[in-house]
Amino acid sequence: MFEEPVRRRGMASLTPLIDVVFLLLIFFMLTTSFLQTQSLAVVTPAPSVDELPTDARVIEIWLLGNDTIAIDGTPVERAALAESLKQAIGERTDLTVTILAEKGSKTQALIAAIEAARQSGAKSVGTARVERIAP
Amino acid sequence: MIEFDQEPPRRQFETLIPLINVVFLLLIFFLLAGTMQPAENVAVSLPKGALNDKERDLPSTLIVEADGFVWLGDRVMDAKLAGHFVKQHLGEEGSRRVAVKADRDAPAEAVLELMEGLREAGVEQVTLLTERGS
Repeated sequence: MFEEPVRRRGMASLTPLIDVVFLLLIFFMLTTSFLQTQSLAVVTPAPSVDELPTDARVIEIWLLGNDTIAIDGTPVERAALAESLKQAIGERTDLTVTILAEKGSKTQALIAAIEAARQSGAKSVGTARVERIAP
Repeated sequence: MIEFDQEPPRRQFETLIPLINVVFLLLIFFLLAGTMQPAENVAVSLPKGALNDKERDLPSTLIVEADGFVWLGDRVMDAKLAGHFVKQHLGEEGSRRVAVKADRDAPAEAVLELMEGLREAGVEQVTLLTERGS
């Protein structure tokens, strides 16, 4: 009567599977990013420089145009900024930290200064941009 | 005449199995370890930072390029004028949260100017995106 259907023997071809897996692999390799982004919440500064206090209870971080940082005129390495700021503040945590950005200073320095000011425990932090910092 | 035993030819799939194993492992690695991000039309190298406030799901992102220009979606604008556009943009979305993605070589005054404009637009707090490192 009817013939028995012939059973396929052995493994089916692996090539299409490998093709698909390779495609998926390449897709994920190209679309994934291993960059670890962090976020830093900052209160937006007031537009006017005049609102910043200028009395003696202020520590200024200068972001100079030649990509260096200074605390109240003393040049500081970027890596040592947080430590130096802590020393400069000492026990007087009611101080205000003001970040002055000169023309030509970079965002990397600004971020470093904001983080240092946050870690220093100062009461408040203000920012201002100026053409040129007068020593 | 000396005759050597001939090795029987291996079947094809046997040699492929280690390859498939490795490829599967790589696939699973990329699936688990990577995070997918929507492509941005501007490439910025984020500044390095140490602190992380772990703010997530920020609806609107402003990108500050290395030359100081600000991108909001497809529009490019000067940092001075960004506040106005952000106000319009936020009015549509009804949200007060803004992320700022600034290049590490962008001028600091452009970022400050942008944040001042955002203050005028009613945004009290911005989130600066940084990269882990020091």
